[in-house]
Amino acid sequence: MKSVYAALAAIGIALPAISRADPPLPPMMDPDRPVHCGRDRAGDTWRMQCDDAKKLCLYAPDSELDADGNRVRPLEQVRDCAENDGFDRAAYEKAGYQFIPGRPDAPWGWSRDERGRVFQVNFDLHRRMYFGVGYSPQKIIENPLESTRSTVDFGLLVLDIYDPGPEPTRHRIRLLEGEVALQPFSAEVTLAHYDMSHRFMDPLLRITTFVGEPERHDLHLDLGMFTEAGGLELRQTSYGDTELWKHATAQVTMDLWQSANLESFVRLRTGGILEGQYDPVNGYRSALTESTALDIDAVLDPAGFHNVRFELAHELPRYFTPYAPNVLVQRMHAKLQYETIVLAINDQPLSLHVAAGGEKRNDIPGVPDQWAFVVDAGLRFSLWAPPRPR
Amino acid sequence: MGTAAPALTIALCAVAAVAHADPCTGTTDAGARFATCFDPGNRLVLDAATSGFGGGIAIRHDITFEDEPDLIWKMSHELANAEWAPLDNNRFDGLLYRGIYVRHSRDGHVVLPTDPPKKIFLPFDIGALVEVGRLETHSPTSATLGIVETAALVDLARSRSARWRAAIGPSASWRVELDRMPLAISDHAIAPFSSLLVDLHGESDDGLWIGEARGEAGYFWHLDRGWLVEERAEASLERVVLAIDDRPVALYAAVRYESAYAETIAGLGVRFAVFDRADPRVSLHPPQ
Repeated sequence: MKSVYAALAAIGIALPAISRADPPLPPMMDPDRPVHCGRDRAGDTWRMQCDDAKKLCLYAPDSELDADGNRVRPLEQVRDCAENDGFDRAAYEKAGYQFIPGRPDAPWGWSRDERGRVFQVNFDLHRRMYFGVGYSPQKIIENPLESTRSTVDFGLLVLDIYDPGPEPTRHRIRLLEGEVALQPFSAEVTLAHYDMSHRFMDPLLRITTFVGEPERHDLHLDLGMFTEAGGLELRQTSYGDTELWKHATAQVTMDLWQSANLESFVRLRTGGILEGQYDPVNGYRSALTESTALDIDAVLDPAGFHNVRFELAHELPRYFTPYAPNVLVQRMHAKLQYETIVLAINDQPLSLHVAAGGEKRNDIPGVPDQWAFVVDAGLRFSLWAPPRPR
Repeated sequence: MGTAAPALTIALCAVAAVAHADPCTGTTDAGARFATCFDPGNRLVLDAATSGFGGGIAIRHDITFEDEPDLIWKMSHELANAEWAPLDNNRFDGLLYRGIYVRHSRDGHVVLPTDPPKKIFLPFDIGALVEVGRLETHSPTSATLGIVETAALVDLARSRSARWRAAIGPSASWRVELDRMPLAISDHAIAPFSSLLVDLHGESDDGLWIGEARGEAGYFWHLDRGWLVEERAEASLERVVLAIDDRPVALYAAVRYESAYAETIAGLGVRFAVFDRADPRVSLHPPQ
């Protein structure tokens, strides 16, 4: 095990050293501006792009290069550029344009290294399949694999569909998303989730103030919906295993704040849950649960590397058969999570997530009616995760 | 008209001779055509074996991109695979869904989010395995329900075709042990990426031979017994021996071992393709 730590330390030391030793990359061509192609006397094709404002032209080989600078194969993900389109380098030079080496252009969300090789640098974590593992700080040092505070999380499909327009709508679909924790054992899985945000063009209320210059203030009410089906929570208590089946959840949402494309939001939601609960003391009982929550979901940077989620929820089960009649039975939980991409393997992101959460509930015999907190961190591997739309 | 008939016959003979040279289309002496290549990745099969009766659906397809011709997602899906053994305590093994997704690109690489980002090249494709809803009965009173299993895979075969795969990677899984009478959960077993999965798949170019092997070993955490080392392995070999109406019939052998239940199940059987996608290289209808 020591050798592994030594190797990790060596990698950690070596990478910054490599980064520092690298010369700065030449500028990259703009993917939104035209590119011209031309052949030199040796017959090699070059890509060229000029900036009239700066009187600067970039040129780059129309091929990927090997480590020695030899042309080895065509560029990937590159626009076609026609030769003999009237581009006259001599005329540009005569007009005072300066030609300097550059990197070929790459599509939105992608970049190129100095050899012209393309790679993704922008990721949409709202469109992916993911699976990950997390650990709480308390663990067995001698054998990390045997940590008793490990968690596994997974999402078979995370899919946001954005419908732009004057009144944009974002549909969010999640399939088989959940988390399983080891000791103490617990599991939370949701089979299917759909929620929707919408921006209404017409305000609910127009308030005009007449103190000073008359001013109009619009009060928008951006309503949406939140639904889930097939939720399951399993938990181990001193009395045995308990199960909470959330058969169906239906809530109305009100977005307090929306980003331009509705990707980030702050919202309130409230509604009901049809659920069934089993514990070894009381057996199975059904309930209709009032639930209210505050959600925050924010992508903090244009490349999608930094993502924050927060949920504060309160649930009041109303059991069909009497249970603890003298007590207000309720569940409260809060969770703050930050996820950041640390590297990408074949353009598929590996992200680090850290989370802090708390829970207080009195609906399960054997669970103390007090706040319990947990902090964990882990890694997630995501598939798909295409570049975020511009 | 008297000269047209011999000319047409000569033309048909010429076409048949060309088709005979096609490696995936056979021709009888009478000129009838038949398939000699098959696509085992897209079919609905029924099995009759010494280990039981069963069947399943396989779907395989590629996702390609116009702007990225060197990138392919090779998608393999298995749906509703099941085997029922009436002579073995009514043993039932079923799998709702298994998907293996491999991202094949011309070059494998890791991108480090430095400024500017740095690209390090790696000689493998990456992918994932997802398995949902595996049910296995072990006795009249016990069963196992695999709720979800997922693995991050690196594919060392780097084949552009889905016919070849040599993948390895850490896997995470969650399964529950069930008491069947009355139905109740007796245990949870969880592997938080603490087991290693190896997945091998190979097919001959004509689809007549198909070999598969999958092994998994590692630490599994159990609710009551803590961490246990468990192994699981399965392998199968299939050979198409005839085709009825160009739908293949294969002999196959399969074996499966699970250390958690000290269980080894092996069988020899016949596999009938009820529906299958014709191999695109097969040309059953001569060009007009």
